[in-house]
Amino acid sequence: MTEISTQTKKFQKELNSGTSSLVLLSVLSRSKEAMYGYQIAKMLEESGPDFLMMKQGTLYPVLRSLEENGLLESTVEPSVSGPPRRYYKITKDGRSELTEWLEIWKQTKKFVDVILKG
Amino acid sequence: MFNKIEEYLDALKTEMIAADLALVQDAQADAREHLLLALSAAREANSGVSESDALAKIIEEYGTPEETASAYREIERRTSPSLKQAVKPQSLLGRFFGVYIDPRTWGSLLFMFITFVTGIIYFTWAVTGVSLSVSFLILIIGIPFAILFLLSVQGLALLEGRIVEALLGERMPRRPIFAQPGLKWLERLKALVTDKHTWISLIYMVLQMPLGVIYFSVNVTLIAFSLGVMFAPFAQLIWKLPMITVGMDRIFLPYPALVLLAIGGFLTLTLTLHLARAVGSLHGKYAKWMLVSE
Repeated sequence: MTEISTQTKKFQKELNSGTSSLVLLSVLSRSKEAMYGYQIAKMLEESGPDFLMMKQGTLYPVLRSLEENGLLESTVEPSVSGPPRRYYKITKDGRSELTEWLEIWKQTKKFVDVILKG
Repeated sequence: MFNKIEEYLDALKTEMIAADLALVQDAQADAREHLLLALSAAREANSGVSESDALAKIIEEYGTPEETASAYREIERRTSPSLKQAVKPQSLLGRFFGVYIDPRTWGSLLFMFITFVTGIIYFTWAVTGVSLSVSFLILIIGIPFAILFLLSVQGLALLEGRIVEALLGERMPRRPIFAQPGLKWLERLKALVTDKHTWISLIYMVLQMPLGVIYFSVNVTLIAFSLGVMFAPFAQLIWKLPMITVGMDRIFLPYPALVLLAIGGFLTLTLTLHLARAVGSLHGKYAKWMLVSE
């Protein structure tokens, strides 16, 4: 039983590693204001009950790598209570990248659906 | 089970023991930000909840230290370092002259020239700050001043880290170290003063000045010497100037000697660039050792 569960976990992780970049980029492209990690995690949690499949801690390194690749930019702002927060905003490059990613996602989804239906 | 956020952070640090120190520091900053925010949200919703109960739920959503550590490792593996030679020449000759097209060479050289300036700024800042902090301690503004100064040292250390990563290609922290919130002024000063990292950063800043002066003089001397030797033959060929003057004797060199001289200058220049690249990479390791807290 444990064998299957680790395999499933691994499969989920591999799927997430691609989709999380797409999800984060799309969330930030729709938001008018810059958002911080916890805010994004909360928003995702509210929009889908199955979100728990993706651990919130895995969002942060993805945000960081998107920033390093110039798709996001961030600023640290101190808050009255609690630690300073890092606010992320999508860049121009990020938006143009996202349109391409969405196209790829649509094609992939269609392809997988067709194959799975047999 | 974790009773405190610090326990989770420690566990995360242990999980990432083999990872790059700078990556560990980034992961710690992200986790601390998230857990503190989640914890204060949980307390707002239910003021009676104990820290360990609230944390258990938060960590279930955030991920265990093991899961979080593996997520960071995974991303880092896919992100390539900023400066890397695109093509690595294989032949011995190619590797020797490849130094000219290696971005790290020029990065190192630029870094060493910049250090000449930043070193003086760091040194002045550190010495002024320490003297003023110590002498202000008897006044009411002493403690706030000392805290501001020591915080500025951490900020400058982060900035220097960014320069080191951009020019020397050594992975350095991309997030500042966050102090624990809710500390009083005196506790905050105590935390800063007892943090080994603060003092090592301060020593680094002071040492940058002599290092900057050495880097600058050695580089300028070697580069000027190489270029001088390399182009000296043209002085004889074009302007009929002697290569060597001893008293009233003007010595002109034969053509083969002039060619050898030019080649010698070019080789010295190449060796200088090799030296610069090697010193740059050493300085990167030294900066990481000094500026990145464990």
